[in-house]
Amino acid sequence: MKIAFVAILAPLGVWAAAPGRPVTFTRDIAAILTKNGCNSAACHGGVKGRGGFKLSAGGLHPKDDYDWIMKGGVYQVLTDQVKGERIARVDLKEPERSLLLTKPWNTTPHGGGRRFERDSEDSRTILRWLQAGAPLGADGPRLARLEIAPALATMAVGGSAQLRVTAHYSDGTKEDASRQVLYAPNDGDVVSVDAAGRVTGKQLGETAVLIRAAGHVASAAVGVIGPPVTGYRKPAANNFIDEFIFRKLERFQIVPSETGSDGEFLRRVCLDLTGTLPPVERTREFLASRDPARREKVIDALLGSPEFADYWTFRFADVFRVAIFANGLTPKWSQKYWEWIRANVESNRPYDEVARERLSAQGYGPASRHFIPYNQLGTPADMMAEEVRVFFGRRLDCAQCHNHPYENWSQDQFWGMAAFFGRMFKMGPIVFDHPETMHLGSKDVNGKMELLHPRTKVPVRPAFLEGRTPAIGAATNPRQDLAAWMTRHPYFAEAAVNRIWGHFFSRGIVDPVDDFRSTNPPTHPELLAALAQDFRSGGHNLRRLMKTITMSRAYQLSSSPNASNRTDRVNYSRSLPRALDAEVLLDAVVAVTGVEETFTTAVTDNSAVGQAPARTRAINLKDPDMYFSRFLELYGRPSRGAIPERSGKPNLAQAMHMLAGATYVERLSGKDSRLARLLGAGASNGDIFEEFYLAALARRPEPEELRDLNQLLAARGDREAGLREFVWALISSREFAENH
Amino acid sequence: MSKELLETGMLSVFVFVRWSKEAIRRHWPALGKGILIKSGTGVRRWCILLGSGRPKMEIPVYSMAPGLRPWSIFILLTWPAVAQQKPDEPRALSVYPFTVEPGTDFRVTVRGNGIKAARAIHHAAPGLTFTIENAESETGVPRNPAELLTVRVVVAASAAPGIYPFRVLTPGGVSNALSLRVSGTPVTREPDGVHDEAPQAVNLPNLPAVLTGRIAKRGESDLYALDARAGESITFKVASGLPSIGAPGGNSNGFDPSLTLYEAGGSWFDPKRLNRVAFNDEPLWVLGELTDAHMVHRFTRTGRYYLRVDAFSGQGGPDYGYELAILPGAGSPARPEPPGAWSERRFDRPLTLTRMNELALRGARKAETSSIETYRAGATVKLPAAVDGVLEKPGAADRVTFTIDGPTDLAIELETPATRPPEFNPYARLLDARGEEVATTISVGRGACTGAMTKSLQAKLILPVRDPGTYTVEVRETTQDLADPDFRYRLVIRPQVPHVGQVSVADDHLNLTPGAARTVRVLFDREEDYRGAIAVSFENLPPGVTALAGADFEPDKDPPMHPGKRERYVARQERSVAMLEAAADAPPSAAPVMARVKVRPVLDGKVGQVIYEREIPMMVISKP
Repeated sequence: MKIAFVAILAPLGVWAAAPGRPVTFTRDIAAILTKNGCNSAACHGGVKGRGGFKLSAGGLHPKDDYDWIMKGGVYQVLTDQVKGERIARVDLKEPERSLLLTKPWNTTPHGGGRRFERDSEDSRTILRWLQAGAPLGADGPRLARLEIAPALATMAVGGSAQLRVTAHYSDGTKEDASRQVLYAPNDGDVVSVDAAGRVTGKQLGETAVLIRAAGHVASAAVGVIGPPVTGYRKPAANNFIDEFIFRKLERFQIVPSETGSDGEFLRRVCLDLTGTLPPVERTREFLASRDPARREKVIDALLGSPEFADYWTFRFADVFRVAIFANGLTPKWSQKYWEWIRANVESNRPYDEVARERLSAQGYGPASRHFIPYNQLGTPADMMAEEVRVFFGRRLDCAQCHNHPYENWSQDQFWGMAAFFGRMFKMGPIVFDHPETMHLGSKDVNGKMELLHPRTKVPVRPAFLEGRTPAIGAATNPRQDLAAWMTRHPYFAEAAVNRIWGHFFSRGIVDPVDDFRSTNPPTHPELLAALAQDFRSGGHNLRRLMKTITMSRAYQLSSSPNASNRTDRVNYSRSLPRALDAEVLLDAVVAVTGVEETFTTAVTDNSAVGQAPARTRAINLKDPDMYFSRFLELYGRPSRGAIPERSGKPNLAQAMHMLAGATYVERLSGKDSRLARLLGAGASNGDIFEEFYLAALARRPEPEELRDLNQLLAARGDREAGLREFVWALISSREFAENH
Repeated sequence: MSKELLETGMLSVFVFVRWSKEAIRRHWPALGKGILIKSGTGVRRWCILLGSGRPKMEIPVYSMAPGLRPWSIFILLTWPAVAQQKPDEPRALSVYPFTVEPGTDFRVTVRGNGIKAARAIHHAAPGLTFTIENAESETGVPRNPAELLTVRVVVAASAAPGIYPFRVLTPGGVSNALSLRVSGTPVTREPDGVHDEAPQAVNLPNLPAVLTGRIAKRGESDLYALDARAGESITFKVASGLPSIGAPGGNSNGFDPSLTLYEAGGSWFDPKRLNRVAFNDEPLWVLGELTDAHMVHRFTRTGRYYLRVDAFSGQGGPDYGYELAILPGAGSPARPEPPGAWSERRFDRPLTLTRMNELALRGARKAETSSIETYRAGATVKLPAAVDGVLEKPGAADRVTFTIDGPTDLAIELETPATRPPEFNPYARLLDARGEEVATTISVGRGACTGAMTKSLQAKLILPVRDPGTYTVEVRETTQDLADPDFRYRLVIRPQVPHVGQVSVADDHLNLTPGAARTVRVLFDREEDYRGAIAVSFENLPPGVTALAGADFEPDKDPPMHPGKRERYVARQERSVAMLEAAADAPPSAAPVMARVKVRPVLDGKVGQVIYEREIPMMVISKP
C-alpha cells in the first residue's frame, strides 16, 4: 500500500527522502552522488578520480567513498597508498562551507559545473547529514536491489511513459527511488529521459534506459513503436522461441518477414550447421520435395553429419583458441587440443562437462594444452579473465587494475577469481596446481606459490564472484571448485545459449555475445532465461539447442524485409544477412568452382615445408599459424592470439583480391573445374547457369536473371570466356559471400 | 637476410645474442649462415632459426615478456651429431624401404651425400647380403640433390627378425649407420602411384601385416583399406625411417607420422565421404620419446575401413619412409631403447633389488651380496629399502618412514615401471620428524631467459642428511586429479654408493688419414661423490693406429643465472679424452675395423670391471 501511494505521488513531486529517518552516507549521500553523476566513470568515479577527489564508480564501495570524503586524497591504481595532500571534503564545524556542497553548487570552482542548487532537496539532505555529524551508517540497511516497472515500456513517437524505481533494502523495507537515481538511455536518438524517470519517444526503435543507484545498476527496455498495424497477424509458433519473439514483435507492431523459401532455408541451415554449401543434387531433391517434415529431416541429417563435427570443431577451435605458431617444436600440443575439441563435438559431450574439464585441466592431457599454447602459462589474471569471458560471457578485465568502471565488478572480486589460477604451474609438458604448503624443490629458491593483490600486496585467497571463499585443500586443485561453481551458475547456461544464438541469428540476445553486463541488457530477457533453462534441463546438449533454434519459425524467416521491419535489427523479425567467415567462404569458392585449394606451412620451398593433404578444407585446418593463406588473412582469419572477434566487414584488399587474386581468378580456368566439366559434357548455357546458381545460392536463376545472363553471354561473343566471367560474378556477389 | 626469409613476409632482424665469441665460433658451422632471431607478425615471439642458408627449424626462445630484450636471451644448443660430420665423409641419410622379410630378394635405395663412389655395404647382419647395383646423383630436386645407391638385399630364410645396422663404404671412409628391419611378418611394399582416395587405396593383406611406404612429397598421404568385424581390436603402428625432433637421433627435418582411421560412411553432402573414426599422433614431442604413431582401435561396426598415413603438418620427401604394422589385438606402443646399457636417471630404468651390488661394481668396490628388502606404502623400513606402490586414487600420498642414527648420505630414486612421465609424474618428498620438507625430487631453478621460477621432475635425488632421527618419504603424483592403476612406482631409499654413472662416446665411426689424429671423448658422470678415475682402453684398432692419452680444449661456459644446489639432481659430468693417431705409413683399411672402447672404474689403485663397452667402426683412408 505504501509503495502504491508513493508511486502515485512521485510524479507530482510530493515525495521527499525518508522524512524522519536519520540521514546516513550509505543510504542517502551515496545515492545523491550517484544521481548527480558525481561518481560516474567520466567524473570522480574514474580510475584515478578527478580533480584530486576519488569516488568508487557508481558508489560500489560506500565505505571507501566515505573515507575519501572525510579524509580526502588521490587514489593510486597499483598501491593502497594515498598520493598527495589529503583534503577533507567536509567541514563539520561549518557544514555549509564543505566542499561536498560548495563544489556542486559551483561556488567553489568545479570542473563539473553546477550539479544541484543550494535550495534543493539534495542540498538539504547533505546539510542535514553534515549537521548530524556525517554518520556513515554502515550498520543500517543496505540497498539490495532495484526494481523497475515497467521492465519493458512502449510508446509512440512523441509519447511518454513513466519509469518507477523501487529500492529494496537488506532489512526487507522498500522505498520509491524514482527521483533518487540517475537515468541514462543507451541510445539517446530513440528516447530521452528526465530526472524523474519520464521517458519520451523520439524516433522508432528500441533501447535500454540504464538506472543507476548507489552501487547498483538496472535497466529498463523501452521501445518506440510505430502506428498500429491494421489486422496484425502473429505468425504461428513452431516452438517456445517463437512465442517470445512474436509476442514482442506484436507488442512493437513489427510485422515479421515471411517464412523463407526452401532454397533460402537450405542454404542458411547448411552454412550455419556445417559451414558447407548444400550440394547441387541435394538442393534439387529438397526443392522438389513436398514432404511437410523436410526441413526437420534436413536439420537432423545435418546435425548428425561429419561436416557438423568439422564445422563446430572449427568454431570451438576459435572460441577455445587452438593456436600455435609453427615454430617446429610445439605445434603438436595444440593439435592434441584440437583433437580433444573434435572428440567432444563428435560425441556431443555435454557442454558443462567440456567446460569443467577445460577449466580444471591438469597434467599432460589435451585440455591442459589450452593453458600453454605458447609453451608457457599465462598470468592468473589473464587465464581467469578468458575463462570468465568464454564460459560466463562477461568481461572482468577492467577490474584487474581497479574496480570496473561500468559494472559491479570490484578489483577484489577480480583477484579473488584469479586466485583460482594462482597456483598453476607448468613443469615440462605438464600443468599442475602447486601445493600451497610445499616448496617442492630446493630451499635456495622459495618454491611456494602465492598470488598477491596488486594494490594491497596481501596474498589473495580464491573467492567466487559473490565473495564466498570455498574450502580448498592446500594440495588440491582449486580449479575443480571453480569449474563446479561456474558450470552450476546461471551465467554459464545463459552465456552458452547466447553464444550459440548469436551464431544463428547474427547477433546475440546480449550482443556482443560475451559482453553481458547490466549496461548491456538482453533484448529478450525472458527468451534468454527460457533458452538457458531448456539448455540446463536438456543436459547442456548443444545439438539439441541448435535443433531447437533452427526449428523455430523465427530462424526460418526470410531475409527479405518488409515495410514494417526494414529498420529492425534487434528483434529477429527477419533473417539478418551476415558475411561468411573467411574459411567458410574459401571452402564455398572451392565447392562452387570445383578447384581445390592448397595450404602449405610456409611460402618458402625447403624440405621441411609441409602441405595439408589434398582436398583439405579451410575449416579443417587445425592451427591458423600452421598454414599460410593469403585469402584467409585478407578475409579476417584470426590468429587466435586472443579470443577471436570476426567483424566480417569488407575491405579494399578483399576487393582487389576478388579482381585479381588467385582464389578467384585462377579457379575460373582450371581444367578440372566445375565449368570445364560442364563444358566438356556439352551442357547448355541454361544448364550451366542453373547448376552454378544451385551450387552457389541454392536456388535457380529467376527468369529475369536468366534473360540478362543470356543477353550478356551473347554480347560477349566468346562463350567460354563469358561463362568464366559469369562464374566470377557469381562468387564475387554479395549474395554468395553472405549467409542470409 | 636470405630471399626465402623475405618471402615469409615476416619482420626479421639479425640480433646479437649474448654468446661468447668462442661459442659462436664453435656453433657457427652447424648454424649455417648464423643465428636469426625473428619476430612473428603481430605477436611477440622470438625464435632462433637454424639451417644452412635457409631456416629449417625454429627453436622458440621465449614469448617476450614486457621489458625483455632479445639481447638478454642466452641459449645453449645441442646439435645432432650428424651435423658435425666432416664434409668429405660419406653421410647416409635414409634407406627405403627399410623393412624386409626373410627369404626375399629385393632392392633398396640408400640416399646420402658422398656415397656415389661407394664400393660396398658394411654390416654384420647374419643372413643378409648387400650388393650395390647402381649409384647416381639425384635428379629433379631443386635444391641440395643427394646421391642414390641402388642396393640389392638378399635376406636368407633363416634371418632372424630384428634391427640390423649397415654402413656405406666409400673411398672417403665408412658412413654413419642406417638400419634395416627384418620382420617376422610378411612385408608388403606400397605400390607406386598416388593412393590417397578410397578407390586407389591399397588393400591390406591378412593380418598381421607389415607394409613399407613413403610419403614421397609434401601433402601426400597413403590410404590403406581393410575390413574389420564388430568387436574386433586391431593395433596400428607406424614407425618412421627418419626420426623427428625429440626422438632419439631425431632432427628438425624428421618424419613424424600420423595415423587416421576412416570408415566408408558417407554423409548427406557426399555419399563417398570417408568419415574419421580414430586418430593418433602420439606421443607429443617430448625429448627422448619416439614420435611414431600407435593406435589401438576396437571396431564397433563390421565393414570397410581406411587407414591414412601422413606426416605431421604435411611434410614429405624422399627420406620419409615408414613401416606400417597392423596387428590383431591390442598391442603396446614401442618405447625407445635406453641410450646405453646403463641408465642412471631415467624413470624407466629398472631399480633392481641388486642395485647396491650394481652400484658398487660401477664404483670399483667390493660387491654387495644382499638384496634390497621390499616394502609396501605405510611401512617403517630399514635402509636400503625398496617400496612398491601405486597411486590409483587422485591426490593419494604414499608414505614410508625410516630412522637414521647418524649423518647419512642418502639417495632417493623413483622408477615408473608402467606408465611414466609425462603421463604419470610421481615425485618424492623427504620430510623430517616435524613434517618439514627437507628435499624433493623436483628440482627448482630460475629460467635462463626470464629469471622465472622453473621446476623439473627428477628420477633421483641425493642429499646429505646430518641430523639423526625419523624421516618420512612421501610419494605423490604431481597433479592432484590424475590417478590410474598403472601409476605404479618403485621407490628406493638407500645410502649413497659412489660410482660411475652414465658413460657415452659421442663418435659413431672414425675415419683417419695416415699421419692424422682424431680426438675421442668419453663422457662420464660421477655419481654420489665418486672420487675415483676411469680407465679407457681401445682394442682391435686398425693396423698403424695407436691410442694416446690426450686433452683438448673446452671453452668456458657462462654460468647459469641461478644454479641452485644442482648436485642434488645432476651428476658431475667429466670427460676423458683419448687421441687416436694413424701413423704416416698406416695402411689404408680395406674394410672397417670394429674397434672396441672399454671403460672401467678405478678407485684406490684398483681397477674395476668393464662398465661400458662399445664397438666403433674405424678406417684408415687414403689421403685425398
